[in-house]
Parts: sequence; structure tokens; C-alpha cells
Amino acid sequence: MSDQESFEPHILGFLCNWCSYAGADLAGVSRFQYPTNLRVIRVMCSGRVDPALVLDALIWGIDGIVILGCHPGDCHYLTGNYYTERRMRTLQTVLDMIGVKPERLIVDWVSASEGERFANLIGDFTEKIVELGPLTDDLPPEELRTRLLAARDALSQQRMRWLVNREKELLEKGDVFGEQVDEAEFHEVKFEALAREYEKNRILHSISDQVLSVQEIAKTTAIPPREVLKNLIAMEQKGLVTVSRIDGVNPKYRRLGGGESL
Amino acid sequence: MELRRRGAIYLYFLQAIPMVMTIDRAHCLYLTRGVCRICEKVCTREAIDFEQTDIEIDLNVGAIIVTVGFDPFDPTSLSEFGYKRLRNVMTALEYERLICATGPTGGQLIRLSDRKPVKKIAFIQCVGSRDVKNNPYCSTVCCMHAAKEALLAREHDPNVQSYVFSMDVRAHGKGFQQYIARGEEEYGIRYVRGRVAKISENLEGNPIIGYEETFGSIVEKMEVDLAVLATSFVPRPDTKDLAAVLGVELDQYGFFKTAHLAPFNSTRKGIFVCGCCREPVDIPESVAQASGAAAKAAEIVTGDQP
Amino acid sequence: MMEEAKIGVFVCRCGTNIGGYLDVPALVNYSKGLPNVVCAQENLYTCSEAGLNEIKEAIIDHQLNRVIVASCTPRTHEPLFRNTCKEAGLNPYLFEFVNIRDQCSWVHMHETEKATEKAKDLIRMGVARAKLLEPQEEIEVDVVPSALVIGGGIAGMTCALSLADRGFEVTLVEREEKLGGMLRKLYKLYSAQTDASQLIEAKIGEIEKHRNIEVLTSATVTEVKGFYGNYDVTIRQERKNVPFRVGVIVVAIGAEEFKPVGMYGYDGIQIVTQLELEEMLKEDRVKAHSIVMIQCVGARDEKRSYCAKVCCTTALNNAMIISERNPKAQIFMLYRDLQTYGTIYEDLYKKAREKGIIFVKYSPQNPPIVDKGMVKVFDEFLGEELRLPYELVVLSTPMVAHPDSGELAKILKVPIDEYGFFLEAHVKLRPLDFATDGVYVCGSAHWPVTVDESIVQGYGAASRASIPMSRRRVVSEPIVSFVDEESCIGCGLCEMICPFKAIQIEETPKGKIAQTIVASCKGCGTCGAACPQKAITMRHFKDEQMLAEIVALMERK
Ligand SMILES: Cc1cc2nc3c(=O)[nH]c(=O)nc-3n(C[C@H](O)[C@H](O)[C@H](O)COP(=O)(O)OP(=O)(O)OC[C@H]3O[C@@H](n4cnc5c(N)ncnc54)[C@H](O)[C@@H]3O)c2cc1C
Ligand code: SF4
Ligand code: SF4
Ligand code: SF4
Ligand code: FES
Repeated sequence: MSDQESFEPHILGFLCNWCSYAGADLAGVSRFQYPTNLRVIRVMCSGRVDPALVLDALIWGIDGIVILGCHPGDCHYLTGNYYTERRMRTLQTVLDMIGVKPERLIVDWVSASEGERFANLIGDFTEKIVELGPLTDDLPPEELRTRLLAARDALSQQRMRWLVNREKELLEKGDVFGEQVDEAEFHEVKFEALAREYEKNRILHSISDQVLSVQEIAKTTAIPPREVLKNLIAMEQKGLVTVSRIDGVNPKYRRLGGGESL
Repeated sequence: MELRRRGAIYLYFLQAIPMVMTIDRAHCLYLTRGVCRICEKVCTREAIDFEQTDIEIDLNVGAIIVTVGFDPFDPTSLSEFGYKRLRNVMTALEYERLICATGPTGGQLIRLSDRKPVKKIAFIQCVGSRDVKNNPYCSTVCCMHAAKEALLAREHDPNVQSYVFSMDVRAHGKGFQQYIARGEEEYGIRYVRGRVAKISENLEGNPIIGYEETFGSIVEKMEVDLAVLATSFVPRPDTKDLAAVLGVELDQYGFFKTAHLAPFNSTRKGIFVCGCCREPVDIPESVAQASGAAAKAAEIVTGDQP
Repeated sequence: MMEEAKIGVFVCRCGTNIGGYLDVPALVNYSKGLPNVVCAQENLYTCSEAGLNEIKEAIIDHQLNRVIVASCTPRTHEPLFRNTCKEAGLNPYLFEFVNIRDQCSWVHMHETEKATEKAKDLIRMGVARAKLLEPQEEIEVDVVPSALVIGGGIAGMTCALSLADRGFEVTLVEREEKLGGMLRKLYKLYSAQTDASQLIEAKIGEIEKHRNIEVLTSATVTEVKGFYGNYDVTIRQERKNVPFRVGVIVVAIGAEEFKPVGMYGYDGIQIVTQLELEEMLKEDRVKAHSIVMIQCVGARDEKRSYCAKVCCTTALNNAMIISERNPKAQIFMLYRDLQTYGTIYEDLYKKAREKGIIFVKYSPQNPPIVDKGMVKVFDEFLGEELRLPYELVVLSTPMVAHPDSGELAKILKVPIDEYGFFLEAHVKLRPLDFATDGVYVCGSAHWPVTVDESIVQGYGAASRASIPMSRRRVVSEPIVSFVDEESCIGCGLCEMICPFKAIQIEETPKGKIAQTIVASCKGCGTCGAACPQKAITMRHFKDEQMLAEIVALMERK
């Protein structure tokens, strides 16, 4: 779809101060050349990067995001990068679920002495994103935006954040009863919950600035009408949505609390 | 360095600390002929003081650290290299100024003689160093600064080709070998092993390098746009006087003598030496030595009570 | 409420480092047009005294309340510019760095136009972030006036003694049973021909009777917690753990000799390493008359591309000792480049030639071959192959990083390079420091060095380490977490995540609420990125500040 020749992707990097930012500086000191597309935001630790913020970046149209931290075991704050890895892996699955190519997000480790590796990594990633094309190649712009907004809201939700950030603890140390949690089972539960939360937010976003019936919502969101209805009833009870008017036999819903966008 | 003219009132260089103008006693019209004083009139802060003379300050100190550095060797006496005689032969230090943004050409890589862009450079190593007739020692830093200078040339202009003429390439510090290797592989720097016998020049002013390839010892010739001489590091001319004032000894080359295995200790207690006035060293080594000498001085000054 | 942001932008040319590759005047012009920017200018070197003065003047003249410098990298220059702001009465945390050299001009040297566009984006992002910056109070902490020196070789011992002589308490930890390190194995040290054992015995004697030094041998560091000025260290010694607290830490674990197993017929008997030769010399076991030394064995090759600095001089020194003991000995030295830098080593080289030691230059394309009592080598000078019969072959192998370096690097959270040597904060300007405050390095742990150089660095590291201890108090960055009591629900997730126990749930009249322990918080932000309520703000790295950068980057696109 895209004009590959002239496509200059927007690439955003989150680099931790102690290793990867130093590695990026070393690439400079050693004059290793790489494509100009990258823009960097320095963070103290890769663990500072909130998946919700990464989704914000995509919402704003960034085509590829690279999060770099210290090698496992080298994080200046001991465990920050382990959280990063788990969070971003979850985020990649969410991206996949909503139809955004998960390869648009990478997490990797670059030490302070790996200037050349940094340059190569950015070179390769830029190339990869050029291949994938602009973010809007993944989905039509409006749909893309609504889905990303819904995903961001899902990952900002209290229970989801709890779940995502307990993962490391639960899988490494076991639950409160000291029982080891089965990894595969945990991921299944986690994604189920994320999918539900996403669905809910997807529905909410579909009626943020318009009034729609269950059927219409089902059509725009591609969620089965039964699920839509179940969600709407639950949300109505929580005061998140309301019936705006009734068209014949079809109640039309609208979101309460305003059409929040960004 | 005589690369360009400067006024008789000048800033030592742009990043100098303290950043104040200095009056060149030998050239100031007022100080030499009693006329002018323009600077005094234009200075808005009344900072010009012609009365300023050298004053003596008495200090009572517990320790002294000598860090007077080195001078680059003047290669004029080595007639085979044609320095000053040939138009496009310069020392490495002059070359560093040439390619510096604050230098005489604003950082352009052009010849000062005819402003022609430089495309081919010969770096001549060990000029005055490792040479029993001049300075038998190795100046330690020149192999690496030549590599850096050749790299910089290429960064100024990707079409520049550099040749480094050296006997050994002394690249023993952290990351140095990798630096040399990248210079060869990515910046196309060529190393020619052997001594340069003579430099001459042709009508266009291009230096002609006559050299012996180590292999087979055949005399070869190479025409270049510019020849850069890596001159040795030598003790400053006033080192002897300073040593006499301090009451310390110099080594056989005229550097400050320090004890083996007590590398900061001069021959007199409480006087420490570091940096290039002790022996040629590069910046990181100078910095490390400076910290070390500070520790030695602090041991005396602050003693056993933090 | 915050007053309207008045931003000054200073674009550095860094000589030609930036000016040669980016269109600096265009950047200045562009900056002038950005919201809230009241002045923008270029400097040839912003970090020069002139540049810094211009910043100060602009702060006063334009009543700036935000300053942006677009130049090299915050990792080296942020403290300087922050300090300049401070001197002009501006809170240092209202300063913002934009990296247009290390991560722009130097990595896009052949794409001026695109690189300039990138720099514009970066400046725009910086301006957006600067607008949202808030002043921060620096945090002062007391420094424990004692040091941990890890490694009891010559560098570590020198460092420990120097610190102890200044009155600081030092704990010197050595993995082996005895202090001394590599020097234990060496014979004579070059130039003055001092006995290595004499040197270390003297040092050990001084250390043992020093009241300020505690030596722990057969001991290793297993854990380091805490922060700059207050490190809680655990040492494992003979199956028991010894905990204590120090203000600073010096790494001096040295390096080891590479064993050339499988190379040049190495057998440890007739074909030995330089280190093995040292031991043979010590015991006077060298009987061979024809000796061939091969340099750069396992060095400057694919696997270890570096030169280990000391091997040439070591070989020369040993060759000299042999020829002095046995003037009839015929010694050949096969080398690639002889690394006898400086005055003393070059002199040694000259004397070796006078002594009749024969130097043969070989090239790595044509390495020597050791074969049935004969070394075959292609002499680059003569242009022909030589066949050298031998009774003893000595292989000069490089020093390699101590096997503990990786583990220790992880414990201390400091970097090592690809070969396992410790990586300093700045190659030129901070050769003995780590980027982490309060941790220093000296000796071969950093890079192979001679004994003299180890001593230099031992004193040097002592000097660096003594600075925070003499000051007694140091400031640490106020980049810490901050909990909004209104939104916190006391769920405890942050407490669980924080690796430093720096955020804890407290019972308050308002219920359970998380609170940051400012002195312990290191500001990683991992808790902030997790909090279900988004109740945690990371000072100086707020969500809004980062989002503002993203928005500024993409807004107009
Ligand atoms: C062409 C060239 C290129 C180089 N490139 C590099 C490089 O890329 N990297 C690198 O690491 N090294 C490089 N070097 C080496 C570097 O310059 C030295 O390592 C460094 O300057 C040594 O520092 P120093 O303080 O010992 O001596 P100096 O830099 O010489 O400083 C000594 C100071 O003492 C002052 N002084 C002298 N006498 C007195 C006195 N009697 N009283 C008071 N003050 C006095 C001098 O004016 C001077 O300011 C290069 C050297 C040359 C010549
Ligand atoms: S460093 Fe290199 S150029 Fe300089 S004197 Fe030594 S061998 Fe010669
Ligand atoms: S994670 Fe957030 S809500 Fe939970 S205790 Fe910590 S600050 Fe409070
Ligand atoms: S930012 Fe949070 S997780 Fe990191 S050290 Fe501070 S309190 Fe702990
Ligand atoms: S500091 Fe680099 S990942 Fe944590």
C-alpha cells in the first residue's frame, strides 16, 4: 500500500540512562552511522516506560518503537528491565490482538560498550519498519485510532495494571499460598482478562461521540451482539453508558462521562 | 603558531580558562612605541590595564605538583623533512589547528599555501622520536593522534586518502587496536611500514614522500597534497630553570626525573610530577596521573585526619 | 502556580563536531519560532567559559526560567550546564539537554539535511518538555567515611594505603589467601630490576600494621546494596557472611594471563607462556640456549582484537635477564609491532638490540609456525623465511579480564566492555570513575597496565574516592517517586515491585497509603509505570513530560 521509496518512518526510542543511552552515545563517539529516523526519549530505567505511554505514541502516529535497557542482570536498578520485558511482551500480544503488527515494538538490551550493536540494531529496525510500511497500513486510520485508544484505556485500567505488574512476582515466587503459578495458565487468564477489558473499552469508544444500537455497535466493533449486550448491561449498571433514545424496538446507547479522547 | 596573523591583544584560544584577553608585550604598539591605546577606549568594562606588570607572590605550601607539560619538537633542523622550506609540510599540532573549527580556515581542510582542497595526506611518524640523533624515546601519543587526525580528515571530506608512514603502530591502550582497525577498514587509512627518507616538492607545491618500504628496502615515492609530521614530545625549554628553582633532577632526556615504582616522586620530598613533563602520555593517562599526584599531595597536606 | 515559561535555547556548534554536519543557523532560527522560546543563539562551544557566560547573561537579560542546550550529551555535560543555571539563580532542574551530537551529528555525518530535520524535532521535543519542568530540591546525604577496596594486587594495595594514610577506614578484600595479586607470580620488574616479591612484601608489611586498614582474605563481595555514600556490603569469607557499610567502593580485581591452549604447540614445558617463564626464572630453571619468543599470541586477532600493552616490555625484560645470565643464549623475538612506548621502555628496546637479541617482524597473515624443534617465520624486513631451531619457545599472551569481572559488575551495577574489562565513565576525562557515583576503578581491572601505571591509578582512584569522603556530604539527584495520597489506594503493588524497599505502605489517618523513602529511592520509575491508580509521579520524568515530547514530535506531522 505504501510508497516504500519515500516512506520515512517515525521511530521513537526509549533508552535507559545507564546502558543503552550510553551505548547510543558510544555509537556517536565511534561514528557508527545509522538512519536518521530515530528520536530518543531518555529515561532513567527502561522500567519507567509505561505500556500505556507506548500506546499513546502509536496513537500519535509513531510507526515503530524501540525500548532499550541494560542486559538482563545489569539493570542499574536491579530488576527494572525484567518488568520491561514482561510488560512489553504483554503489549505486543495486545497489539497483535487489535490488528497492529507486534513487530512495530521491540525490546532489546544494549550495554554501554555496544555502540556498534546499537547502530546496527537501529539500522535493522528502521529497515524492518520501512518494510512494514506506515502504521496506517495495518488498519484504516479511524479504526486504528479507536482500537489503540481502547487498548490504551484497557492497559490503564486498575485491574489490568495489577495483573500485568504482578506477573513477574507471581511466576517467579508463587502466589500468596506459596504455590507456583503455571506460566501458560497465567498468560491465558491474563489475555482473557485483557481481551475482555479491551472489548469493553472498544465498545465505549464506539459510542463516545455517536449514539448506536447494539447491532450497530456489533457491526463497527466486530464483537458479537450478545457480548456487546452483556457488556452494555454491566456498564450501564456502573454508570458508564446510558440509553440515549429508543429507535423503534432498538435502544441506542451513548457513553457517559464525555467522549474522552486524548 | 604562525598559521595566521593575530592581533597584539588576543584570546589564547576559544575554550581557554580563564577567558581573558592577553596583551602581547612584544607587539603592542603602546607598550613598544608609546602610542595607540585603542583597546582601552573600546573596552566597555575598563579592563585594560597597561600598568599590569609581573608581580611576585609568596606562598607557603605543603606540597608542590609539577605539571608543566611538553613542547612539540621543532623539526626545522631535520632538513630531510623540509619543514618551513616546503610549502605544504606541517606539524601535527599545526594540522590539529587547521582542521579545528576555531582554526585559521574555520575548519576547512585546505592548504594554507594555495587554499587548494586537500585530498591526499601523508602522516609521517616518529619525526625526531626513536631517533638516537634527536630523541631516542618514543613519544607514545603520536601513533594514535595520527590515526585520529586521518579519521578527522576523512570526516571532513569522504574523498580524502590518508597514508601513515610508521615503523611500529603503537596502539596499546583501551580500544586503540579497534580504532586503528576501523581506520583501515572503514576510513581507508593505509599504513606504510617504514621510515621516510626525504620529502621534496614538485612545481604545484605537492610534497613528494621518499620512503623505504620495510619489505625489501626499496625506495619508493609518493606524491601527496599535504605532509603532516608527528613531531616528538620534548621537555619545555624552561624546564632546566624550573628544575633548578625547585631543586629537583631531570632525567637523561630532560624530563623531570621520577622514581621507579613511585611514579610521582621527584628527587625531592614533597614535590610531585605528573603528565607530559615526566614522560609523554596521552590525556587519560595524564588525568589519572593528576588524580594520583593530588592524592600524594593530600597525604602530606591533610595527613591522618580527614 | 507556575509562571509562563520563558525558554532560552543554546545550540552548540562544538567546533565542527556539530557545526560541520548540521545547519546550526537554521536550528537557531527554527528554535526562535517555537512556543515560549524567547531567545535562541548558537555558540562555537557552549561549554566554554564564554558560552556559559552567555547562558548566564541570557538568563538575566531575558528573565529566562527554562534553559535548553542542544549539544553533546547529558551524560557528560548536564552537570556543568545545570550548575551554570544554578549560578545564575535558576533551579538546575529547569535545565533541559538536547543531544544533537552523540546521537545526531556524529551518527548522520553524510546527511546534513535529514540530520538537521532530526535536530529540529529533538529541539521541539526538548522545548515541549522544558515547558513542563519543575524545580527540584537537591537531596543531601551523609557519606560514611570508609572505603571498600576490592582486590589486593598492587593497584588495590596502593589505593588502600593512600586512603588509610589520609585517615579513612579501608576494608581491603582479597579473593586469594594472600595479598599481592599478579606480582606474586612475577620475577623482576623492569627498568629498576626490583624483585616483585620485595615490592609486595613491603606493601603488605605497611598494610598489616596500618590501623586504618582491615584486610579480609579468601573473601569475595557477594552483595552491595544502598546508595552513593552509604553502601551496604556483604562479604563472604570462609562460609560466613560479613556485613558492613562503606561510603565508596574501588574495584581493583586485576586481570589474568591468557593460556594459549592449542596454539603453537603450547605444552607448559618446552613451549611456555611469559608468565610461566617468570616462574622458571625465579627458580633459575632456564637452561635453554636458543630461545624464540613469539609476541601477540592470542592477541590482536579475531577473538581478542586488542593489544595487552605490557607483553612486549615483559618479553624484552625477560630476554634481557636471560642474556645477562647466559651471554651465549641466542634469543629471537618475533613481533608484529613492538609496543615499547615512552622513555624507559624504548630504552629497554634499544639495549636489547645492543645485547644482540634479534628482532624479526612477522605479519598476521604469515604467522610463525612451531614445528619439531624449529620455528619457521617469514621475516617482513628481509622478505624471506627464517628457520630458527629452539630449545625453548616463549609465547607472549595477552592479559584477559579476571573471571570474576562479570559477576562483580552485576553486583556493583557497573558496566564492562566486550572483553570483560571494566568500563570507565569517560575514556578521556574520567578514566578512574564509573558513571555510578561513588564507585571507582584502578589497575588491570580496567585495562592491562604495567606496575608503574597500576601504582599511578591506585593513587588516582584513592584521590577520586577521597573526594566524597572528605566532603562528608554529597548531593544525590532528586529524581524520586512521589505518591499522590488522594489517588493511592494502598494496594501495595509499588512496595512489592521496588527493588530498594524505597516505597512502603504506611498506616495514616487516611488509611493505608504508600510513601517514598526519599533517601533510598533511586528513581528508576518502575513503580510509577506500574501503579494501578497512576498515583505515582516520577519527579523530573513525569508522564506528562514524556507525553509532551511525543505530542511535540508528531503534532504537526
Ligand atoms: C599533535 C598532538 C595531538 C594529540 N592528540 C591527542 C589525542 O587525540 N588524545 C590524547 O589523549 N592525547 C593527545 N595528545 C597528547 C596530549 O596533548 C597530552 O597527553 C596532554 O596534553 C598532556 O597533558 P599535560 O598536562 O601533561 O601537558 P600540557 O598539555 O602540555 O600542559 C602543561 C601546562 O603547563 C603550563 N606550564 C608549562 N610550564 C609552566 C610553568 N613553569 N609554570 C606554570 N605553568 C606552566 C603550560 O603552559 C601548559 O598549559 C596529542 C598531542 C599532540 C602534540
Ligand atoms: S608513538 Fe608512534 S609515532 Fe610516536 S614516537 Fe612512538 S612509535 Fe613513533
Ligand atoms: S501502587 Fe499505587 S495505589 Fe498501590 S500502594 Fe503504591 S502508590 Fe498506592
Ligand atoms: S522509583 Fe519507585 S521502584 Fe524505583 S527506587 Fe524509587 S520507589 Fe523504588
Ligand atoms: S537501568 Fe537500564 S534497564 Fe534499568
